[in-house]
This record gives sequence, C-alpha cells and structure tokens, in this order.
Amino acid sequence: MSTIQNDSDFRAALAALTVPQQRLVAARFVENVGTLTNDSRVKAAIHAARRADISAPELEVVYSAAKTAAIESYTHCGQQGDWMSQAGHFVAEAAATSVTPEPKAVNLAWDVAMRARMARTCATIAEGQGTENREAEQQYRILADFLSNKG
Amino acid sequence: MSASLARGINVLKEVIDAPVASFFNSCVHCGICAESCLFYRETGDPKYTPIHKLEPLRRVYEQEYTLLGRIAKRLGLSQPVTEAELEEWQPLVYDSCTMCGRCTMVCPVGNDIAMMIRKLREGMSVAGYAPPDIRGAVKRTVEIGSPMGVKWSAVQAVIKHQEADLETKIPVDVEGVEYMVLLSSMEIMNYPEYLSALARIFRKAGITWTLSSEAFEATNAGIQIGTSDIARVIVSRIVNAAEKLKVKKVLSPECGHAYMAIRWEGPNLVGRPFNFEVVHVLELLDQLRRKGVLKMKSKFDTPVTVHDPCQIVRRGGVLEAPEPLVNTVASEVRLMTDHNKWNWCCGGGGGASAIHTEEAEALRTKAFMVKKRQIEETGVNTVVTFCANCRIVIEEAFDHYNMDTRLLGLTELLAEHLDDEDAAGEEAKS
Repeated sequence: MSTIQNDSDFRAALAALTVPQQRLVAARFVENVGTLTNDSRVKAAIHAARRADISAPELEVVYSAAKTAAIESYTHCGQQGDWMSQAGHFVAEAAATSVTPEPKAVNLAWDVAMRARMARTCATIAEGQGTENREAEQQYRILADFLSNKG
Repeated sequence: MSASLARGINVLKEVIDAPVASFFNSCVHCGICAESCLFYRETGDPKYTPIHKLEPLRRVYEQEYTLLGRIAKRLGLSQPVTEAELEEWQPLVYDSCTMCGRCTMVCPVGNDIAMMIRKLREGMSVAGYAPPDIRGAVKRTVEIGSPMGVKWSAVQAVIKHQEADLETKIPVDVEGVEYMVLLSSMEIMNYPEYLSALARIFRKAGITWTLSSEAFEATNAGIQIGTSDIARVIVSRIVNAAEKLKVKKVLSPECGHAYMAIRWEGPNLVGRPFNFEVVHVLELLDQLRRKGVLKMKSKFDTPVTVHDPCQIVRRGGVLEAPEPLVNTVASEVRLMTDHNKWNWCCGGGGGASAIHTEEAEALRTKAFMVKKRQIEETGVNTVVTFCANCRIVIEEAFDHYNMDTRLLGLTELLAEHLDDEDAAGEEAKS
C-alpha cells in the first residue's frame, strides 16, 4: 500500500488518476463527511458517483439536484450563520462537484477533497472544537486504500 | 405620535440638508427614474418609481422647511407622516431598493436619489421600521463583529483550511506590512477560497500583507440599515486596527457595499481623513496586471460575460479595472448591452438580499428577469462577477429559472489561472 503523508503527494496522486477514477475516490471523500447532511439529493449524488457505469444523462440529473441543494444551503448575507448547516452546504458542494458533467473545468478529486475538509471544519466550529480536525489524514488513507485496490 | 415615530421624524429633519432640499426642488416629475429601476421595470407598478419611494422624506421637507408647507401644516391642511405610512413604506425603502444608483445616473437634473434613500433609511430605522432581518444583522455586527455572527475563532479555522489548500502561511496581526486585508462574512462562510486566491496573488506579487484579529469584517450593516452611529462604530474598528498595525493600505474585498462604507463614507463617518489608503481588491489586481505581475499560465477557454456589482462599479467608481482583468483570464468576453456603470443590479444589493420575507424574495426573483435577459442576449453560459452577495443572489436565480449558467468569482478565477509556480517554489525553498 502506498503511503501518502502530505498534501503535495496527495494532490499529485489524485492528478494522476483518470476522471472516472477521480470520481470514484471523490465519492469516498464525500461519503466520509456524509453524516453532516440529511439531504437526499446529496446522498443520491454520492451514490451516483460511486457507480463506474454512470451515464452522462444520469450525471446531469444528479448533478443538477445536488447543485440545487448546495445553492439552497448557502448562508445569506446578514443571516445568522449556523456552522452545522454550513457543513451541510459544503457536503452538498462536494457531492455536486463529484458528479459534475464538466470534469475538465475542475480539478475534480482535489476540489471535492477540499470541500469535504471545509465541511468538517464547519462542523468543528459548530461543535466548538477549535480548528483541529483529521479529515486530511483520513483522506490520505482513503486514497491509499483506493490506490492499493484499483489494480 | 409615539416616541419612536417622533424620534424618526426628528432624524428625517436632521438629515435634510442643502443637497436634499435642492434635489426635491429640482425634481421635474419626468418619471425617467422609474424606467431605470429594475423593480419598476419588471413589475410595472408605479409605487416602485424611485422618487416616489422618497415620499415620507419629501413631505417632512415640505412641511418643515418650505414656507407654504409650514403654513399648510399649521392650518392642518397637510397630512403628517404616520406610523402606518412608514410601515407601508418599509418594503419600498428596503425590499425594493438596492441603492444601486441607476436612478441617480439617469436623473436629468442630477438628483442623487440613492443617497436620499440612504437618508430616509436613517429615519425609518430610528422609528423602528427597518426590516427585522437587517436589525438582527446590525445587532450581531455590534455585539460579535460580524452580521452573520462569524467569530475570530471561526476565521482561524477557515485560515487553517485555506493554508492547507495553498501550502503556505496566511499572516495574522503582522505590523508594518503594506496591506491589511478585510473579508466579508459571506466570503468566510460561503467562498473561503477567496482568501487563498488572494494569498496566491500576494505571494506572486511579493506584497506584504496581514489579516487583523481585531477587524476582519469589511461589511457594514450600519450602512444597510441606515444608522450612521452604528456605521461609525464598525468603520472605527477597521481604522483602529489599521493604525495599530501601522499598515499603509487597507484592502476592501469583492463585497459591494463594504467598499462604499469604508472608502467613501468611512472618513466622513469617523470625522477625519484616514492615515492609510483604502484600495478595492480589483484596483490592486489591475495595478498588478499593468505591472505585468498577473501573468496567466492558461486562459479560461469558454466565452464569459461580466456582471458589474453596482456598489463597486457605478457607486464605487471602480470603472476601469473589471474589463481588462476579465480579458486577462478569459479567452472571449461578451459584454452585456448595459454594462460597467450602466449595469443592472442583481436585485440583492443594499441589504435587500438580507430580507427573507416571502414577498421580498418573490420580488427579488421577479426583478432578476432584467439580468436574465441581459445574460441570455450574450449567448454565453458563464458569468464572472466580483461581489459575494451578487454571487449568491445570481446563483439562486439561475437555479430558480433553471438556467444552465454558472457563476465564477473574478479573484478566484485569476488565481486559478495565475502562473505562480516560480513564486510557490521560491517560498518552498526559503
């Protein structure tokens, strides 16, 4: 099993994957923070991203629904911020990115990883646990597992 | 008359100065301002005519400061401004005015209608007729330092997250640097990548900068609600922090009204000139572009159009920076017919997007139709803008109207395509 211990190695390893592979590993990153939302549209996007045989029309549908979930969960200007809701927003953004029909427009797996980390950061703020969270290390392990199992 | 109404009327009397008097006297009732207002234009309802929105202020002016008006008032021949009237006017002054200033631009006699709305809001607010959502934002700003209740500990968490993305440290409370950077709570909560984009650009340009733990918030809810005393407190926090850190410049973020508050109203609010310069982030980026620092490693290869935020461009005067900056990073730019200082508002400025009543949200969505047509006329499906509030308002409208259009933030787009591998490499070595 390969060992990934920092973001430089993590980013490089993600960039070396094909888009379908990035989508598969991105789904696992989102799944790891999936408990931070109850939105069924987000869960559907995670499920879709895990399917290697997902078709382009199916991607369009789940992306659109997840994107709407992300937009609906923005904290508005002047609104009292709720960091746990905001965690849900970033999970929705991560999920939408993982099923984006335009993967060339984004650094797919890295962008998903960063949004998932932001979701965890929001949750730690909400829980008053300060700035520490171990989402990055968990993502390193998820990627290492993925790389060792893909072939 | 209740005590709060009396206080509100007194404030209206106080805010009526020579410009306001001359504006009311100059109005020729031509109605051109109506056609310039997106709320009138999209609903056709005459109550949304900008000059009509000022009716309570006009009546106080007439009854208190004109000879005929004073005689009429004494004889009981004129209607005093009442609680019921202010209640009726609340949606006209807050929900359906974004203080975008397009009415001011077109007024043939030069009346600054947006400025007069700002003054009317002073009296409305004191009389207790500001929308509850905006009152809540003001309370949080005074008590916590952010209209969305964002505390410094949360900013620290976001900083740490962005440092991982950027693989560099984000400076905090560093004295004697060139720029003290302000953020809006919207950027901290919804668009945290703005901070790392800025950090990348600073790193590439070799500019020293810092955040302040005592004043990170750029937005000014006091301006939105129309209460100068609160606006002054908020501006003073920034001034005190900038002076304590001895910075040369304060950088206003992409947020629209934040720039208006700190750059244009700020010195008047605190009653003295600043001993630092206030620069909008787009002004800085354009300076760097002209110096050749903003070299792109690639261009965004899909045609884009540009939404110019009103408070930054038309009201803020940042007119020349946006277009060349977008041209720097996009391979093809198709400008809207009415762009730059003639742009149409997204519908959410001036605190309007902070009002979450069903009526206000429905009106905002309807008013967006003008922007929708503008975008569709360009034939592109990517819009670039530079205001966090505009971004959310527009994204929500795209979703509402099922528009297959995406929205990008200009600073982040520039950072994404920036050729900065040399700068990152240099930092890694040092």
